[in-house]
Amino acid sequence: MTVHESAPAKPALIAVEEAGREALPAGRSRRGLSRWGKVKRDRSLLLMTLPAVLLLVVFSYVPMFGTVTAFQAYDIFNGFAGSPWVGFSQFQRLFTDPIFWHALQNTLVLSGVQLVLYFPIPIALALLLNSIMSSKVRSLVQGIVYLPHFFSWVLVVTIFQSVLGGAGPLNSYLREHGMATWDIMTNPETFKYLVTAQAIWKEAGWGIIVFLAALAAIDQNLYEAAAADGAGRWRRLWHITLPGMRGVIVLLLVLRLGNALTVGFEQMLVQRDAVGRDASEVLDTFTYYYGVVGNNFSYGAAAGLFKGVLSLVLILAANKVAHMFGEDGLYRR
Amino acid sequence: MTVRSVWEEKPTAAGQTGKTFTIVIVLAIILVPLYSIVLTSLSTQESVNIAGGLVVVPNGITWEAYRQIFGNQLIVHSLLVSFGITIVGTAISMVVSVLCAYGLSRSGSFGHRTILMLLIVTMFFSGGIIPSFLLVAALGGYGNYWSLILPGAVSVFNILVLRAFFSGTAQELIDAAKIDGAGDWRTLWAVVLPTSRAVLAVITLFYAVGYWNSFFNALLYMPDNGMWPLQMVIYTYTLQGNAMPGSGITTTGQYLGHQQIAPLSLQMAVVTLTLIPILLVYPFVQRHFTRGMLLGAIKG
Amino acid sequence: MHDPLTGAAANRRQFLALAGLGALAASGALAGCSDPKASGPGTTSQSELSKILPNYIPNTAVTPDVAGVQGANGAVSDAVFLKYPSSPVKTVASMPGKGGTYTTMTPLWGAIPPSSGNGYYDAVNAALGITLKMQPADGNTYGDKLPPLFAADKLPDWIQIPGWNTATLNFGQAVSKFVDLSPFLAGDKIKDYPNLANIPGGAWQAGVWNGKLYGLPVYPGGAGITGTYFFRRDIFEKLGINPDSIKTPDDLAALGKQLTSTSAGQWAFDDLVGDDAAYASQLFHFPNRWGVDDAGKLIHKYESPGLIEALNWHAKLVKDGVVHPDAVAGKNQDAKQRFWSGKVTVNSDGTGAWNGDDAKSGTAANPAYRRGAFKLMSSKGAPTVELQPGAGMFAYLNAKLSGDQVKELLAVANYLAAPYGSAEWLVVNYGKENETYTMKEGNPVLTERGGKEVATSFQFLVTPPTPTTVQSGFVDVAKDYGAWQGDMVKYAVKPLFFAMNITEPSQYSSIGQAVKDTMKDVKVGRKPISAFEDAVKAWRSQGGDALRSFYDDIRNKFGTGQ
Repeated sequence: MTVHESAPAKPALIAVEEAGREALPAGRSRRGLSRWGKVKRDRSLLLMTLPAVLLLVVFSYVPMFGTVTAFQAYDIFNGFAGSPWVGFSQFQRLFTDPIFWHALQNTLVLSGVQLVLYFPIPIALALLLNSIMSSKVRSLVQGIVYLPHFFSWVLVVTIFQSVLGGAGPLNSYLREHGMATWDIMTNPETFKYLVTAQAIWKEAGWGIIVFLAALAAIDQNLYEAAAADGAGRWRRLWHITLPGMRGVIVLLLVLRLGNALTVGFEQMLVQRDAVGRDASEVLDTFTYYYGVVGNNFSYGAAAGLFKGVLSLVLILAANKVAHMFGEDGLYRR
Repeated sequence: MTVRSVWEEKPTAAGQTGKTFTIVIVLAIILVPLYSIVLTSLSTQESVNIAGGLVVVPNGITWEAYRQIFGNQLIVHSLLVSFGITIVGTAISMVVSVLCAYGLSRSGSFGHRTILMLLIVTMFFSGGIIPSFLLVAALGGYGNYWSLILPGAVSVFNILVLRAFFSGTAQELIDAAKIDGAGDWRTLWAVVLPTSRAVLAVITLFYAVGYWNSFFNALLYMPDNGMWPLQMVIYTYTLQGNAMPGSGITTTGQYLGHQQIAPLSLQMAVVTLTLIPILLVYPFVQRHFTRGMLLGAIKG
Repeated sequence: MHDPLTGAAANRRQFLALAGLGALAASGALAGCSDPKASGPGTTSQSELSKILPNYIPNTAVTPDVAGVQGANGAVSDAVFLKYPSSPVKTVASMPGKGGTYTTMTPLWGAIPPSSGNGYYDAVNAALGITLKMQPADGNTYGDKLPPLFAADKLPDWIQIPGWNTATLNFGQAVSKFVDLSPFLAGDKIKDYPNLANIPGGAWQAGVWNGKLYGLPVYPGGAGITGTYFFRRDIFEKLGINPDSIKTPDDLAALGKQLTSTSAGQWAFDDLVGDDAAYASQLFHFPNRWGVDDAGKLIHKYESPGLIEALNWHAKLVKDGVVHPDAVAGKNQDAKQRFWSGKVTVNSDGTGAWNGDDAKSGTAANPAYRRGAFKLMSSKGAPTVELQPGAGMFAYLNAKLSGDQVKELLAVANYLAAPYGSAEWLVVNYGKENETYTMKEGNPVLTERGGKEVATSFQFLVTPPTPTTVQSGFVDVAKDYGAWQGDMVKYAVKPLFFAMNITEPSQYSSIGQAVKDTMKDVKVGRKPISAFEDAVKAWRSQGGDALRSFYDDIRNKFGTGQ
């Protein structure tokens, strides 16, 4: 399984851009047309982008402006226009709210644990699969492991609950054999590991596919040369394979870091009752419970704005770190 | 790589066994829960009691749970709702995304870099739950099905994947179409789409699964449980353990009438219903994955 | 008699209790709130109130088997009916409805019945001459759904809002979305609606906001308390334990070991503190909201030493291993199941849990099942129990309705409020004879179809004063409950700010959440008592102290309503 692509493992969306531009003579000619001429020439294309752009403007951009409500004391009876402006007081309230800080802490801890513990599994499994000769077996395994990626979190948690919960086969087995049952689904102490296990179960397949592709992109000649030089399989792994995957690994790390604050909202929401607010509250559930359900819309908006800004900072920082490692991050320098 | 390269060592017996063992475990971890969920939904009350919960060893098969489920108005309706929004939503999303992706895929076309940037920004910054909610509510979406479709109709990631693929379509084909006098629309329809089956299948699956799994929007915008999609039903009646509507469980929790089926079976039957469409469609699309998905994954 | 409202009702009495809590809603005018659009003074003074409240004209058409007992401080236990009057009177002369169609929204604690093809709904609507679209929503998350509903301005025509949700909703302002019923029902005007006039004035009180009457009372009663402690009388009798000898928390704790046998899967206790310590408050003498300490200073429940005692007491029970693990894990929805199946012997619950339906479920698991409630216990001195105001939930009509529509709905409300013992009551609560219910030994019993279709729905729109009745043929349960309640009302006291509709400033509406959540962990020992104390400290600084001065103000201006 090889990837047909001009730039192996190069995670640049813009790369396609440039490939296109190089093919200029056969593409859109840039010479000889005025601005308006170009619009006329490309009107179909522009029209094609219209529905998507409209939807995004309405459902993504307008809410961005709606974040100003974080600076109001939003009142459902007065709406945007009528609600008073209160400057930063919502943020003041936010920053003195221990529940908020706890939610932030939870978010970071859960993200962190997932970040660290998730990666080794798909990498290891990808290496394992890569060494399987039969492509039939590989496809089969890949196909099956990728399946949970398509399940919703409600479904995944339900499955975990069914199997590992009080009524599940695991605990039934333990009970039958006179052993103490394991309280997995409702234990706040081990919640972070449960959450990571769920993430691995659900997303390992996706990771495996990505890493397999990265592996396939490594030049086989390197292996041959190394083998000729007497390097055994482990040395080859360490010196060729892993470095060859570095780009993808770093990219994924950057992506996950950037998304750290959005860690499994739905996943946490459905488990909040089982494991307690303390262990499962993350920024998004905080916004939902204290902002929407608590009828404090501006307060929740403030939390959301804080999260958005912090996420942006994280992404930029993560990208910088990637650059420091000499890799392309999300965009090239 | 179906043939071992010359420079590779011979696999050892220990290595092979270890690998096989690991693979079996991995597959089991994924498949066994699914298997027992389906099995429990088909199990008689006695088997569930014997198993003390989820059934792993079959002991008695009955379709009673499904009979009751399909007789349950709420569940049947939620099935329809889920199917409805999945089909309509996927159609809308695909049309909008394919058009947009193609519209942005011709390099040098006017303004496409700006529009692209516009799209990409939304991947990294969004208004948040509350401004989005207030907007949809202001637009009248509360209690309306479109609130489950339109806000999430556009996935910029999917558009980028489609775009990358379209850009890669051999230029000669497009030139040939141009010479034949085809405009952009015809080119898209007649030339680019037919050669993009793989990526179209993949992205359709992505969108469809996204809609099928929609939960939070329903939680936020649908108070009336007559309008709930299947995921909300699972959340409320399986995960939270509330008594299923119309199941004859009175407000004191007693059962009236049918007692022959364990509530766990009913719950697992609902879960199975959610699983089935995915399990059915997945194998067909999966063979497209290996190429289409990789492209997107690497790029993305 | 099937009282389909048990789920909610298990909490019904609890609701009444929380009504006191719910009597505080936000209109924010008092204490110089920063809300510029605050409307009207929060609390209404007694003289104002008397002008607004409908007159009380008791209905004499029906006489009970056991009359209600007058207790202390105005508490009255419910009348007891051992069977439904054999020839029920008609209290409503003609069909109230005029064929209109209206949307409703009510909570429901229990399985939600099908919404179409529902014989029960159809029967009631046919009798009413109207189409009420019933849309019961899950009671446990009902409060979560209300703020988005208001924000989206998609209120139905007739909506019920439990008293404990009004604070979050900034209700003093929210009432502007509803019809002011004073012109229709105040004082003498209630004569047009004789069944509504049968509801005592005290029950209407918490539906008065900003000096105007808005709410239709749901489940009004005169002996509402948050809840109490129940035990399996059959198990006690088998073990020879005399429940009357259990008078203090320590006596109760001492039963722990005797009643626990993990090998048999039985534990002595379920959760005995309750959500937000609703049940332990009676036992340990701390207020459900605000009280005064010995120096006369206002203290909140969270600051009471009694609460700390309660939490420590319960944590010790958990530590001793006499509390059921599911209760420790917070799995409250199965609490009744545990009691029925004997997995726990003693639990805490709302008084609505004790009825014939409960006996039916319990005896299905074990024919000897018998529920009993302890006579009120006390951690020190004579027991006291805080009385809850007349009604904990109210239903409101959408302000967008025209005057004629309001009149139509009020006429319908008059029908729905027909007293127990009347012909209409049977229809509203049971549907159609021989379709959804049959009469067995003089009491209505649901058929199988009825079991699926009948649920507490119309009752959440407006309800007559509810007596204790026989359900599912369990006459003894009604007698036992009546006797217990008659005893209990002797110890009733009115809490501070009883039934005063105070509007708390909205920014404090969710400061208690953290304390409530912390209590969940502290009461089972997951967290130490210091965590609770810290949460209370945070509560104080986030608004608890500010609330104290707010209430001090009220106390000075309006008194304490006691």
